[in-house]
Amino acid sequence: MARLVRLLGLVGVLLFLGSAFTPLPNFLGQRLATPARLEAAEAIVVLGGGLSPDGALDNVSLRRALHGIFLSRRGFAPLLLFSGPAYHGGVAEAAVRAGLARELGIPPAAILTVVDAWNTREEASRITSLLGGRGVRKILLVTDSHHMVRARALFERGGLEVLAAPVDGVSLVANRPDERLNLMHKILIEILARVYYRMAGYL
Amino acid sequence: MGEYLVLVLVVVTSCAAYLVGAARFGLPRAGLRPAVWRVLECVGLSLVFLVANVLVGIVAILALRALTKASVSVYLVADEALLVLSFLQGLTFLYWRDHSAPASKVLSCPD
Repeated sequence: MARLVRLLGLVGVLLFLGSAFTPLPNFLGQRLATPARLEAAEAIVVLGGGLSPDGALDNVSLRRALHGIFLSRRGFAPLLLFSGPAYHGGVAEAAVRAGLARELGIPPAAILTVVDAWNTREEASRITSLLGGRGVRKILLVTDSHHMVRARALFERGGLEVLAAPVDGVSLVANRPDERLNLMHKILIEILARVYYRMAGYL
Repeated sequence: MGEYLVLVLVVVTSCAAYLVGAARFGLPRAGLRPAVWRVLECVGLSLVFLVANVLVGIVAILALRALTKASVSVYLVADEALLVLSFLQGLTFLYWRDHSAPASKVLSCPD
């Protein structure tokens, strides 16, 4: 038993060293990532990323929101939809992002929000339903490049044609140990999430 | 080169600790190998605790969702603090076992 635990420990140490001091996370990150396909669509959908208790968008959320706004301002689609609930019971993430979009010149009539979806599956369900009612069939989806595979599959199940517009909160070319470990953390979370979604029959 | 600075620092201080341990404190060199085995054991135990914590956390969140319709994110179990806490669990378990072993032997010894 002790030998097995030691072997597990050795694997753990090697995985840690490989993650922190070799390009292993970069390689895995690029293998799992979805390349961008930026074309004209009927709506830009920006998935939720997170909101701090003081109402500030977190890094991932802000990057995604700005990417969506950037695509909207470049005329890729007439509608810009933000998702994100009120994680802490106050203001919703989607509302904060919509405010940011208005400040940056997006017309209020072009902005939609979904504030009652708490995970990727619920986001796909609510957004597909909302956009379906408006006759939208083709969207540009803004989320992390790793998350894109899972998210895109769910939106496509809902009948939408999905173009990937990935933006990453963690660089795929990270070269500092802490950045690589952070990237590896994100990759492991996404792999676990994919396994869970497959086991639950969502994918 | 900058990315390996941390590794170089650790190698340098480890070498210094080895020299100080052997020369000043008279620690036997033969004791280093068992020490490394113990560290690997501790890391292995910590990983077991980490996996257990993640699995229990996921099951608890899914059960909570099913029973109360509450919106609790599964991502909560991906908190980096869990890694450190799992390491502390592994370390404590290892020390517990170490300190209990002689006592249990004594208890099992016939009078």
